Amino acid sequence: MTSTAAPALAASMRDGYKDYGTGEAAVRALDGVSVDIARSEFTAIMGPSGSGKSTLLHTLAGLDKLSAGSSTIADTTITQLSEAQITEVRRKYIGFVFQSFNLIPSLTARENITLPLDISGTKVDKAWFDEIIGILGLGQRLTHLPAELSGGQQQRVAVARALVSRPEIIFADEPSGNLDSRSGAELLSFMQRAVKEFGQTIVMVTHDPTAASYADRILFLEDGQIVDEMREPTAERVLDRMKQMGH
Amino acid sequence: MFRLALKSVRHNPKRLILTAIAVALGVSLVAATQTFTNALSSGFSDLFDDIYSGTDIVVESDPDAADEDDQGGDPFAAAEGVFTPADVEAIGAVEGVSIAAGGLQVNGSVVGPDTGDEPDDPLASAGGAPSQIFNWYGEPRVDQSTVVDGRGVQADGEIVLDLDSVENLGYAIGDEVRVSTDAGVDEFALVGTVRFGEDNSLQGATLAYISDADAHRLADDPNYASVSVIAEEGEDLDRLASSIGEVLPEGTRAITGEDKAAEQTEALDEVLQYVDIFAIAFAFISLFVGAYIIVNTFRIIVTQRTREFGLMRAIGVTGRQIRSMILLEALVVALIASTLGVVLGYLLALAFAWLVSLFAGDIFGTMTLPLEAVGWAYAMGGAVTLVSALLPAIHASRVAPMEALRESATGGKKPLKVRNIVGAALALIGAVLVTVGLYAGLDKPYIWVGAGAAMLVIGVTLLAAQLLSPLAGGMRRPLSAWFRVDGKLAANNIQREPRRSANTAAALMIGVMLLALVATFTESLKSVVTEEFASTKADLFATGAQGPVPDGAIDVIESVDGVAFTSSVGFGTATYDDMDYAVAVLDPATAAETYEYATDPAIGELSDGEVYINPTIEEVGVEVGDEVVLTGPEGEAPLEVTGLYLSENEGAFFVTFPTGEDLFGDVQVVQTLIVFDDSVVADDAENPGGAVTFSEQQEAIQEALSEDFPLVILAQPGQLEQLANQFIDLLLGIISALLGSALVIALLGVANTLLLSVTERTREIGLLRAVGMKRRSVWRMITIESMIMAVFGTILGMVLGVALGSALVLSLADFGFNGVTIPWVWLIVYTVLAAIAGVLAAIWPAYRASRLDILQAIAADG
Ligand SMILES: Nc1ncnc2c1ncn2[C@@H]1O[C@H](COP(=O)(O)OP(=O)(O)OP(=O)(O)O)[C@@H](O)[C@H]1O
Ligand SMILES: [Mg+2]
Repeated sequence: MTSTAAPALAASMRDGYKDYGTGEAAVRALDGVSVDIARSEFTAIMGPSGSGKSTLLHTLAGLDKLSAGSSTIADTTITQLSEAQITEVRRKYIGFVFQSFNLIPSLTARENITLPLDISGTKVDKAWFDEIIGILGLGQRLTHLPAELSGGQQQRVAVARALVSRPEIIFADEPSGNLDSRSGAELLSFMQRAVKEFGQTIVMVTHDPTAASYADRILFLEDGQIVDEMREPTAERVLDRMKQMGH
Repeated sequence: MFRLALKSVRHNPKRLILTAIAVALGVSLVAATQTFTNALSSGFSDLFDDIYSGTDIVVESDPDAADEDDQGGDPFAAAEGVFTPADVEAIGAVEGVSIAAGGLQVNGSVVGPDTGDEPDDPLASAGGAPSQIFNWYGEPRVDQSTVVDGRGVQADGEIVLDLDSVENLGYAIGDEVRVSTDAGVDEFALVGTVRFGEDNSLQGATLAYISDADAHRLADDPNYASVSVIAEEGEDLDRLASSIGEVLPEGTRAITGEDKAAEQTEALDEVLQYVDIFAIAFAFISLFVGAYIIVNTFRIIVTQRTREFGLMRAIGVTGRQIRSMILLEALVVALIASTLGVVLGYLLALAFAWLVSLFAGDIFGTMTLPLEAVGWAYAMGGAVTLVSALLPAIHASRVAPMEALRESATGGKKPLKVRNIVGAALALIGAVLVTVGLYAGLDKPYIWVGAGAAMLVIGVTLLAAQLLSPLAGGMRRPLSAWFRVDGKLAANNIQREPRRSANTAAALMIGVMLLALVATFTESLKSVVTEEFASTKADLFATGAQGPVPDGAIDVIESVDGVAFTSSVGFGTATYDDMDYAVAVLDPATAAETYEYATDPAIGELSDGEVYINPTIEEVGVEVGDEVVLTGPEGEAPLEVTGLYLSENEGAFFVTFPTGEDLFGDVQVVQTLIVFDDSVVADDAENPGGAVTFSEQQEAIQEALSEDFPLVILAQPGQLEQLANQFIDLLLGIISALLGSALVIALLGVANTLLLSVTERTREIGLLRAVGMKRRSVWRMITIESMIMAVFGTILGMVLGVALGSALVLSLADFGFNGVTIPWVWLIVYTVLAAIAGVLAAIWPAYRASRLDILQAIAADG
């Protein structure tokens, strides 16, 4: 995404509140979050379980609606859009990588990767596709069904799918959560390369300090509020910070 | 265990709703017809009670003694007089008899005032309720009617009508009422109106009374058909009946009114029983289709709960316990569904009875739900559900504890090999059975055909999975081209679960198969009709609206200018070798000029004392040159067989009118064929000279007949052909309507399968939505899946139906079928309807799928 007059921010949120349930059972998952996600930056979100990480990711991505506040994607305020319009935004600007079940079981790896393009009826950019496949080392596996791929390969296919349409921003919720440390490291370093070499914007939720250390910037979340931020993190510093938070 | 099953049903009732509805629909059909026929029976038994309530003892010809068995069931038919006035007197003289009144019915019809107008459509007046014309006695207990306005019949030439008919026909007291009989039209002075029984419930018939002498004159019969006896106060009726019996002529009996009413009710119930059996047959078809859905539902549920079962097994639940748990679940569904079905059926019967009463008046007794219906409903609903759930339950009981740990819920793909082998074997055996049943000429062929067809259906269902898989694979490309990913995913989904998709499609296949079968049959029948009319050379047909064409009418027709000649055909029933056969009576001299009879030698060669026989008679061993002795009501006739009639319809024996008179006395002419001379030209021919056209000629004849024979109907061959085709279409319509419930159930099945598979694919759909698939696309994907299944099932059904229908038609070649007509128009209609049905069936599942909450879908475990 290197169009002219490129917006400085890939995504942002202003005074985001998210409440679940009512009365006794009410839970405030986001409690006045304001955050800017700069372009071509790899942002990690950390925090204890239940602190609202996934909620923040989902509301930023327009998968879920904020109870109050506003958020934008590529300068479009999505909080007022209709369901169909948000779908359109997601299709055009957003890529996803989930922790598991990222792929449609009946489609081959190649078909899964090109799925977003197929849905919007866009032509596949062959050179770009080959480049991603090459870097991710998926060349041999393109005709396989998800069930025939290892967990690490499945996640790499998911990342390839997120990248192939060159979205404004990729959201990943614990993408390496189900992987062993070696496959996880491979996946994360590739995501880092995507940011460095192609200028991709990525927002990733993780529990793992090592995973977080691949990011340019870490946001710490606690009880639905952003309590801290860290630039140029290393695994040790992150670990220390988390001990502080009683994690 | 039962609590666990109940909980499971309660926890997720949605997935069982459609299954329950499917069972309920089938069951409701049974409950509805039984309620309906029950009410009909009680309605008529009230009517019979009305008819015989006043009369203490009925004296009539004994149905067991006489061979006229058709008199037994129909209380309205005019019987031949067997009691002379002397007999009636003798009965009246029996000790304890207060009144003995001879009763006589006249074959005829009360017609409306002669307004001088031509009836718009002579064919339309062919139907209508018949008239009941009796002699008036003047004692309500004998006549069953009481005078309302005016007075009773006191002299010859007078008439009274029931009060509803007076109004309907447009007469008023003092008018001349026209009564049409064999002898022509007579006019009577209307002197009063009467009410029949309590509330004049005549089922739309016209009731008329004339004087005793007039009745004898019109019926052309000096005797009485029955005698109504009123006993003296305090007489023991049974004893009186037996003492009357002593003075009666041979072949007659005396029976109390009460017994007579009971006898009539019983006879009617026997007929209604066939209606019940017919309806139960259709209910069976519906439930058979329903069984497919139940199997599918439980199969899918078992698959979805594999992990749950695995966990149960891991903590020590035995496979047997799991099996009985599922069967208990099925039982709960069956109970709920059957109850629902009974209620639904009862409401259906009420609605239908209300509809009928709009047209036919109040013919029903109280609408009660017979206990029998409830029994049938629960038995059928329960049996079908349990049997269908058995296989899935066994399947579930075999789930290994390890399955609990498996990542994905859908297990590995089992090959279709076993399924294919079993399917092919079943289909083959089924086809053989059907062929044997149709062609081997066995006893009760329908059992063979029915069993064979059922096996064929199940076999094809099993094979369909194999067929569907590559088909869906092949459709992937065009579907992807037309609908992009939506189409591709739809094709994938069909292919992923070929068993499930095939079973679903097969449920629809059954209904469509039966429709296509009937359509093939009826279309072929139409071809026969067309051919039949093509072989006629007559310009006009004359038939009687009620009963035969009177001789006088034929004379009138022949006297009209432009009529070259007529040829009449009569029918009677005669006994040969202790069996009853239809005997056609015709005029050889003119027959060949009006119709192409397929005989050898030509029909014109038939002489008096000779007979032609058809293949049925040939089969009993009669040959040309033999002598056969036919026995009719009027006498015996030894006849020489001199020719063959080559088709099995029409009659078994063909004789001339003089021979027919020996057998039947006065031969009843069912049809008179009229040929015009050359002066009459076709309606659309060039007509510079202004010659008389066919239509004008028809009108002229109708005009000539209207004076004395208004009940004779004229029709051109084309009109008759149209009428016949309308009847055939009606038949198709009725059967289609009855199959409607099977089709609705099948569509519920499609919806059900899709719904369950949407649940199963929750995460997948969530993911698609997350990466940007629009709701509309999700909707379209489900709809395409639905349409593929529906159209596939329909096409399979049509192939099977046309094949079976053709086999049926070919096996009936002897009855004049001369080839199969494939109902192309219907087939196209069915396919289009199937596609539309697919769209409809997809509505709910597609709605659910497109409304799935993305976050919940992604979070859903499974
Ligand atoms: N659909 C929901 N209904 C009710 N409460 C919810 C819902 N989703 C999340 N919550 C609540 O909101 C809070 C934040 O949840 P969230 O999933 O964002 O946490 P998280 O930081 O992602 O936790 P984890 O690290 O365990 O994934 C939690 O207290 C959770 O219970
Ligand atoms: Mg989370």
